[in-house]
Amino acid sequence: MVTVLDTGGVVPSVSQRRWRARLSRGLILWIFGFYVLAPLYAGARFALQNDNGNFSFHSVAVIPAQAGFTDAFWYSTRLAVVTVIGVLLLVVPTIVYAHLRAPAVRPVLEVISLLPIVFPPIVLILGFMHTAPTWLLIWPYHLAVLYVVISLPFVYRSLDAGLLALDLGTLVEAGRSLGARITTIVWRVILPNLSSALVSSVALVVALVYSEYTMASFQVTPTLPVWIAQFSLSDGHITTAAAMLSLVGAWILLAVVLVADLGRLQWRQRRAQK
Amino acid sequence: MTTMSSTSTSRDDTAPKERTGSPVALRDLRRRFATTTALDGFSLDLEPGEFVALLGPSGCGKTTALRVLAGFETPDEGSVWVDGADVTGVPAQRRDMGMVFQSYSLFPNLSAHDNVAFGLRLRRVSGAERRRRAGELLELVGLAEHRSKFPHQLSGGQQQRVALARALAIEPRVLLLDEPLSALDAKVRAELRDQIRFLQRRLSITTLFVTHDQEEALSMADRVAVMYNGRAEQIAAPAELYARPTTAFVAEFVGITSRIPVVRRDDHHVELLGAVVPVRGQLGAGTGNLEALVRPEDLAVRRSDEGPAVIVNRSFLGSMTRLEVAFGSTMIKVDVAHRTSEELPHLARVDFEVVAPDLLVSSAR
Repeated sequence: MVTVLDTGGVVPSVSQRRWRARLSRGLILWIFGFYVLAPLYAGARFALQNDNGNFSFHSVAVIPAQAGFTDAFWYSTRLAVVTVIGVLLLVVPTIVYAHLRAPAVRPVLEVISLLPIVFPPIVLILGFMHTAPTWLLIWPYHLAVLYVVISLPFVYRSLDAGLLALDLGTLVEAGRSLGARITTIVWRVILPNLSSALVSSVALVVALVYSEYTMASFQVTPTLPVWIAQFSLSDGHITTAAAMLSLVGAWILLAVVLVADLGRLQWRQRRAQK
Repeated sequence: MTTMSSTSTSRDDTAPKERTGSPVALRDLRRRFATTTALDGFSLDLEPGEFVALLGPSGCGKTTALRVLAGFETPDEGSVWVDGADVTGVPAQRRDMGMVFQSYSLFPNLSAHDNVAFGLRLRRVSGAERRRRAGELLELVGLAEHRSKFPHQLSGGQQQRVALARALAIEPRVLLLDEPLSALDAKVRAELRDQIRFLQRRLSITTLFVTHDQEEALSMADRVAVMYNGRAEQIAAPAELYARPTTAFVAEFVGITSRIPVVRRDDHHVELLGAVVPVRGQLGAGTGNLEALVRPEDLAVRRSDEGPAVIVNRSFLGSMTRLEVAFGSTMIKVDVAHRTSEELPHLARVDFEVVAPDLLVSSAR
């Protein structure tokens, strides 16, 4: 017996179905785009519009001349560099080892890497200030230790996904059969194949360091977010422009690393053609 | 050690050469994983330049044996000898063994050329020499024009050829092939099978090849080791393995076999389908029911209206036709030349003739 589906007597034509599919795709993209771009647009508009409603780059141009900006910017930049180095040195060997030699530990590591999300930053900084040894507290970049902790969820997940996309075991065995030690394989095979994951990790860490306020507000030397918060009391347009600039800076950094990576691949291809 | 002296891929060069590869000996290897015994006293000798295939069903221990030889697994007991030296404790990266894996395993961040040159670079071969040798090997596997492509730009067959070139570039003492053809489609598999055998013969390199595909093993290897439950059931040349299997497992795993009940006449003879036939080896002292393991070509059939069996199925195999003949409750496979098969239609009654000089007999299931 054949069952006939009741279509209500109306069967959409192929062109109607395609039009509906295009509409659905467009709607989803518009909603997503609006959600991401609207705050950026609002920030940029507020930063570039003066009190009379006219647009100019005055707020951006005067940023470097503002008291304390340069120190705060470079301090945050140095913190970002130290944090990136610290988190990569901590996570990369751990996660590679876990994938290669102790896969049973991976779920445990994943849970541990998520813990920083559970603890409020204020708890972390207060705990750190009361328990860290003095030599660490007087180190100018001790904030990076905490930034390493709070960036763990992003970095771990990004690198974990990157490693899962590789047939790691076979690549390592192929390297070993050709005479490579594990360190050589990590350096020449695994890390280059994790470049996308590493770039996104670095971008996330940099963005985090340039935006974290709670913990930074406890420091004597102000970071960029602290400077922005303090300066916003005197001029909101300039501080918003500074915040937007830090965001654009992170994007530029990401773009530079991606272009460099692309260039490296093209260089390899050209060299192989010779 | 082998050397690359020419880039010609002429098939005239396939004549056997003096074997110059390394001798390999696997001695009484045992390896357990939790409750599973992967290797249970496995031993195998490879002559210099010999191509040996490890053949067996999944879980028989063939890949473990290969990995022990490669240095990726350490045996619980036993030893591995290459060139007369015990290498059991030598790490994989110092064994000088080229390996080709089932899953291609090319480094995704390197071009085909750089993949092939990877091992040479580790050996501090100069840039010019590295380029020359990598180019030579890529030409040998027919991929010279693809040298600058990355793995994702190559097909599966091309990737596996690059992997082969990469393994050969380091002039390994032993070439290890871990089911390198299983992920490829039938046509590419056949091409690459020929290419591997051609290169192996040309370079005269000792090779251990793991496969579960009997056609691959029988067509490529000088000798085949059929493995079962972590042991070598039989190690023999392909023709001997097929024609004279020594155990029921080998007879049934390699080629097509029918089990037919037989009656014991004496220690050396059984009665099969009314004929007294010599037994391969000697029958044991047991009194249980026995069965002969019979190849499709071990029997001949002729049409007979009073015959004891009926043709229930016919399969066209090109030059041959395979008949499935019902003899009571026993199904027997018999191959006949296609030209004569027209005289043997579906449901025709037939009589048998045993044409095999002797038969393997085992206990009934």
